[in-house]
Amino acid sequence: MASFAPEVIFYIGRFPITNTVINTILVDGFLLLVAFLTRRNLAQVPDKFQNFMEFIVGGLHDFAGSIAGSKIKVIFPFFITFFIFILVANLSGLIPGVGTIGFYETSITASGQETHFVPLNRPLTSDINATFALAIVSLVATHAYAIKTLGLTDYLTKFFSFIPFLISVAKGKPKNTIDYKDPLSLFISLLTPLVLIFVGFLELLSELVKAISLSFRLFGNIYAGEVVIYTVNDIFAFIFPIPFLILELIVGVIQALVFAMLTMVFMIILSTSHHEESNVADPEGSSTQREVSH
Amino acid sequence: MEVLQQLGFNPILFVAQIINFLIILFILKKILYKPLLDLLKKREDEIKKGLKDKEDAEVLLLKTQEKETQILKSANEKAKKILSDANDEAIKIRIKAEEQALRESEKILDQARRTIEQEEKEAEERLTRKIGALSLSLLQKSLVGVFGENEQNQILKKATKELERKRLL
Repeated sequence: MASFAPEVIFYIGRFPITNTVINTILVDGFLLLVAFLTRRNLAQVPDKFQNFMEFIVGGLHDFAGSIAGSKIKVIFPFFITFFIFILVANLSGLIPGVGTIGFYETSITASGQETHFVPLNRPLTSDINATFALAIVSLVATHAYAIKTLGLTDYLTKFFSFIPFLISVAKGKPKNTIDYKDPLSLFISLLTPLVLIFVGFLELLSELVKAISLSFRLFGNIYAGEVVIYTVNDIFAFIFPIPFLILELIVGVIQALVFAMLTMVFMIILSTSHHEESNVADPEGSSTQREVSH
Repeated sequence: MEVLQQLGFNPILFVAQIINFLIILFILKKILYKPLLDLLKKREDEIKKGLKDKEDAEVLLLKTQEKETQILKSANEKAKKILSDANDEAIKIRIKAEEQALRESEKILDQARRTIEQEEKEAEERLTRKIGALSLSLLQKSLVGVFGENEQNQILKKATKELERKRLL
């Protein structure tokens, strides 16, 4: 496995079936099978399998609940699906045969003919399309939930801090009056909204960067792991790859947890209003503020 | 863009992965998380209810035990009182019975005494009459040959009169 890009195995029309798409189908199949088996045998007194599923889902629900609080109902499906989907995808790369069963392909390059190995199955998280797709879902879900929770105005004030100023102007109560005779004051007064707009766009850009960071972190870790295992397997067939497999197992779990946790934290932070933030940060201060305003 | 192409970015695959994830998210939410969490919630509620019922039952048990103790105590007191009353009553009845028995026995003794006296008197009277008759018979037999018939009759009449006067006949 040398290329970043997933290898195309065949096409259905114009749709390329890559080895990561095959892995996606297998991961989907596994998750759906587990879900159907759990649903089919659901009973008040659980058997071993249901007990295990209750342990996983219930445990993650309690864990997420301790962080998300009352927002758990909306956030939990995203948190757990990201976690188990990425976890199963990551760990699928450690199954014997995944990444090692395939065929050799000869391609013609500038330096002549080149033969390289094409695995039939490759973890989907080592494909930038999949990790970026997951990150975009996370980003859209985060912002959609924030808009739904806060309303559009409060949501926009998270990025553009001049909005409260504009609202106060619209209400006829500007916080600062402009002194048109003082050139410096006039300059600052004109420049401030431009700076605030720029900062707002930077804030928005940072949200996109978060998504890119999420996708590249996952992609980088898993792709690097795959390359390491592939290389070590090429050099030593037995025993020596075991520590690397264990390391990849840990990395797979941690990366799944990091992605899911970050998504959950972003959702919580962005859906928390300034008022709630100040209450959480300094409850005593806020009470003092209330007293002053009274 | 070139960097993305080198990394293998493909818009079709990208969109396909988004759709795939959303479908998986939707299906898992519907058929796995919701039923499982509902079941866990239901079980938790049942356990809470069971614990509450247990606490209620324990409180009820304590109350019942207290009530039982009170009832037993009250019953014991009542029983003791009844026994004590019964004892008192028994003593009273015994004394009364003894007194009555004494009275009865005295009455019987009096009656027996009177009867004995009466019988004694009757026996004495019978004996006296018998003695009178025997004396008269002995006199009659002893007069035969000594006195004549008329004299005998006169003596016998006189003796009979005398005996009748003295209530010996």
